[in-house]
Amino acid sequence: MSRIGVFVCHCGENISRTVDVEQVAKAAGEIPGVAFSCDYKYMCSDPGQTLLKKAVAEHKLDGVLVAACSPRMHEKTFRKAAEAAGLNPYLCEMANIREHCSWVHEDRDMATAKAKDIVKLMVERVRKGKSLAPITVPVTKRALVIGGGIAGIQAALDIADAGHKVVLVEREPSIGGHMAQLSETFPTLDCSQCIMTPKMVDVANHPNITLFTYSEIEKVDGYIGNFQVTVKHKARSVDESKCTGCGICMTKCPKKKIPNEFDQGHGMRPAIYVPFPQAVPNTPVIDRENCTMFQSGKCGVCAKVCGPGAVDYEQQDTFTVEDVGAIVVATGFKLYTIDRKPEGSPIQGYGEFGYGTIPDIIDGMTFERLASASGPTGGKILRPSDGKEPKQVVFIQCVGSRAREKGISYCSKVCCMYTAKHTMLYHHKVHDGQAYVFFMDARTPGKGYDEFWRRAVEEEEAVYIRGMVSRMYQRGDKIVVMGSDIQVGVQVEIEADLVVLATAVQPQDGADLLAQKLGISYDKYNFYSEAHAKLKPVECATAGIYLAGACQGPKDIPDTVSQASAAAAKVMTLFAKDKLERDPVVAKVNEKYCVGCFACKKVCAYGAIEEKEIRDRQGNLVKKVAYVNPGVCGGCGTCQATCPSKSIELDGYTDEQIMAMIEAL
Amino acid sequence: MNAKANKNHVTSIEPAYYQAITEAIRKEAAKILKDETVVGVVGYLPGRRKGTASPALVTTVEEAEKLIFSPACVNNLSVYLTKAKKGVLKQGKVGIVAKGCDMRALAGLMTESQLQREDLFIIGVVCPGVYGFGVERTGTLTDANIARKCRECTVHMPEGADVAAGTHTELADLTPEEAQELARIEAMPQAERWAFWKEHFSRCIRCMACRQVCPFCYCEQCLCDKNRPQAVENSPRPAGNMAWHLVRAMHLAGRCGGCAECERVCPMDIPLNLLNRRMAQELKELYDFEAGLTPVDKGPLNEYKENDDQSFIK
Amino acid sequence: MHGEHIKHDFEPKIVAFVCTWCTYAGADLAGTSRMQYPPNVRVLKFPCTGRIDPVFILRAFQKGADGVLVSGCHPGDCHYMAGNFHARRRFAAFRALLDFVGVDLNRLQFSWVSAAEGGKWVDVVTELTERVRAMGPMPEFKELEHEEQWSTFAEATVDKSGAINTPELKEAYDSIG
Repeated sequence: MSRIGVFVCHCGENISRTVDVEQVAKAAGEIPGVAFSCDYKYMCSDPGQTLLKKAVAEHKLDGVLVAACSPRMHEKTFRKAAEAAGLNPYLCEMANIREHCSWVHEDRDMATAKAKDIVKLMVERVRKGKSLAPITVPVTKRALVIGGGIAGIQAALDIADAGHKVVLVEREPSIGGHMAQLSETFPTLDCSQCIMTPKMVDVANHPNITLFTYSEIEKVDGYIGNFQVTVKHKARSVDESKCTGCGICMTKCPKKKIPNEFDQGHGMRPAIYVPFPQAVPNTPVIDRENCTMFQSGKCGVCAKVCGPGAVDYEQQDTFTVEDVGAIVVATGFKLYTIDRKPEGSPIQGYGEFGYGTIPDIIDGMTFERLASASGPTGGKILRPSDGKEPKQVVFIQCVGSRAREKGISYCSKVCCMYTAKHTMLYHHKVHDGQAYVFFMDARTPGKGYDEFWRRAVEEEEAVYIRGMVSRMYQRGDKIVVMGSDIQVGVQVEIEADLVVLATAVQPQDGADLLAQKLGISYDKYNFYSEAHAKLKPVECATAGIYLAGACQGPKDIPDTVSQASAAAAKVMTLFAKDKLERDPVVAKVNEKYCVGCFACKKVCAYGAIEEKEIRDRQGNLVKKVAYVNPGVCGGCGTCQATCPSKSIELDGYTDEQIMAMIEAL
Repeated sequence: MNAKANKNHVTSIEPAYYQAITEAIRKEAAKILKDETVVGVVGYLPGRRKGTASPALVTTVEEAEKLIFSPACVNNLSVYLTKAKKGVLKQGKVGIVAKGCDMRALAGLMTESQLQREDLFIIGVVCPGVYGFGVERTGTLTDANIARKCRECTVHMPEGADVAAGTHTELADLTPEEAQELARIEAMPQAERWAFWKEHFSRCIRCMACRQVCPFCYCEQCLCDKNRPQAVENSPRPAGNMAWHLVRAMHLAGRCGGCAECERVCPMDIPLNLLNRRMAQELKELYDFEAGLTPVDKGPLNEYKENDDQSFIK
Repeated sequence: MHGEHIKHDFEPKIVAFVCTWCTYAGADLAGTSRMQYPPNVRVLKFPCTGRIDPVFILRAFQKGADGVLVSGCHPGDCHYMAGNFHARRRFAAFRALLDFVGVDLNRLQFSWVSAAEGGKWVDVVTELTERVRAMGPMPEFKELEHEEQWSTFAEATVDKSGAINTPELKEAYDSIG
């Protein structure tokens, strides 16, 4: 850079009041390589910008420095002006002599001296600057949604409705997730399946959605706009293209006493089954571990009765590779298994509560199934041990949640509301029954939520006891619940017929493994990390991957649906253009000098650095070097500071620029 | 380790001990060359002068019979597998004679993708120590002629080697001279410390022997040789010397295996290993990192923990 | 202090290496809030503290800085997720090294200043400036710039008359003839 123009702005009087702008312009003009300098009242005004453009043309300037306000304010303005004048916008820089100088110093001499110094530094930056061109990345306008619960369904429908193709992958035989298991939903008490199943059917019928159930993510390659995802289609043992969903196989299956996962093990299902009657797709799957045919090779009843011949015992897992441009992760949650300490986990378990040993201590999801019209009891509240109607039910909140000493310190967010709902459902179904709730706090922020909770307490006669339960044990056919009421300061002992634990919400099993495949980060509980807690709540740090629902943190249905739609909106924004344009401030590798120690790769938070093989003409490996994928690089420059030989360099902040600025100090 | 409790602690290591290692190395090297496990073995041959040894790459069984190990085998041979000698590995699997400290360098180079374990056959040496600089080379190693770094050796056993030659024997009651020197410098007032290093660094003639001998200085272009921009002045003047040694210490922090070859080869007797030791000590204190005998995923300055110490940050 | 500038005998040169997202923005906020602080600081903007190489700090001292400030986002706030975490380790190590060779760490300040902490920026800059002012100019690196090879060695071995006073050197010189 040898013909630099320096434009010093008065900013009305904002700068000129404490900085002698004429002197600054004069001093700038004396810096070697500065071909033109001037001062002007308002550089950002139209006449100011015109002045800049004219000067570029007249003085054949090859770099521009505007000494004015913060670049955070007007860098874009002046870079645009410079571009209009035929300069590369990255050859235009700003010297901040307002926020960093005139506004913070009173002494005119010293402020002027500082402004001159700032200009001197920044002239060096312009001098060593390079023309940069925006990076364009092609975008495959097809999205992958992982998880077919309400989050995944909502995201898939929104993206598909916008006209883009969507691949929805669900691990279980049917979509629906946890919401399909719920009986009624707070705060309106409308039936969950009534609002859920139409959406499930929409997914199945949507021309833009390809649904893969009983499938998992095997491998993820590529980057934003260009992912290649290998999906493993687990062998269903039933040919989806042939099955008509008549269900005769299920009725004829001789093995019918398998605890049904969908009913939390309280109902029974055959070995060939659909998880629940409204399943989408309505194609059964053979549970090979419980199927007599697979275990002993003798049976084959389902194949015999299947008219279209859809049952296929020989079916193998298959793999497909899906090209997608964006990924929405919506893998949801599981409930805390409270009875034992999970292996290798810091979480302690609640063996003292007798869960798993006393049959009438159940978790909230089991209660949902008992209360559900399609559940194992047909919607009657009957306790598991003897099928009697419980007259005293104790609900315990915060089991697992908010218990630092037990390993989980967060609040599971939904339990206060669903416990209030449970007391109501119970009261509606067992009029002479009494519900007790042990709680630490009632947390009910949300539209209509506190009103709902108050209704449970004030109108539906639930007795709320503030305190925790210390011990529970079986006495006859009752469960003795010992706890404390800390408001009154007394010990409480309740003889309950049924105990319902509001257990903590946890990420799904294998959430960490999926995160590793996707290259996204997760917290110590395995909840996925958003890029920014406040301003980027649905984006992952890895570009092109978005989060929806409880996989990111405990959430209720409205929040989940909102986030799913937000994630879908992000995907649509990405798909709105054919090519993704990115700021060219990215790192580049000098392949001549890179020795492939991959320190850069180790510190890169974006996973933007890959190993590249350099081969000679005969195809022999010469060496391995780092390669920066410009579509993924975030532009922080940590790699360059880490590289011992500085063989990786961040455009826009090169060592040459920085050193030149330091030399000019 | 408690000296009294261990009967292998002796007051001198006799030539016979080294001779036994020599025999073991010869036997192993000959074997792996003969059955073509390796294309060559990097080891030591007797030097031209008595009581010396020089690094060598042997490729035949006959040559292998001449390999030795003695207290004069001071060199860290891992440097012969990187940099200009990288080509050696392209020929096929290579055997290498490695002391504990050399093994740490090999592990570090594996961490940094410069070496692959499967490309190496490591003949580990249960090393009781080597000669220091300018000492009497009698063939017997004693308190009087052992190298400073060996006085505080924690890697006598070359764990993880393909074979190990020798039995565990070490000199008893060695004074930790380097640790004492480190403590002495740290106890100095700050100005005195500056004066100490200023004096040492101003003698530096920038021969770059420290860089040349270091297994970790394998960059194809050293930052300190770059002139656009010139981060470190490269003429032997005090300013550039100070910068060079600080950059060197910083670049080796969390990587250095502590072989102290830099200090050994320094013609101006600058105690370079003190800088390496100080950095290692800091990384041990802050991040519980120690250079080990097996490769790790990430070095201490290539990773972080959210709760790392930040007491120095306002 | 407002409106009135006290003349000092020594105006230290302070160099600040800051990240663009937090500290640079925090300094902008100090400006928009019209806070006042000593005009000694010169700010160099980086995308992230992760980009800041210890060599820059060294070079700044060599080029006459009396004090250096490195400031970025608070842990967890990094725009690039982890740049400041890497910087934290790197500078912890570099500090230890500088301390070991005898650099007074009072001249080197690290801080986390968020985009909302205009006041903290003012505090950090003011404190460092005043502290360094009280310490006086930093002589160490500047002296080195002006010294030549052997000069300290020569000082130790050449007496006031210029004669070589170590027997070894004398012998060496004599042997040259």
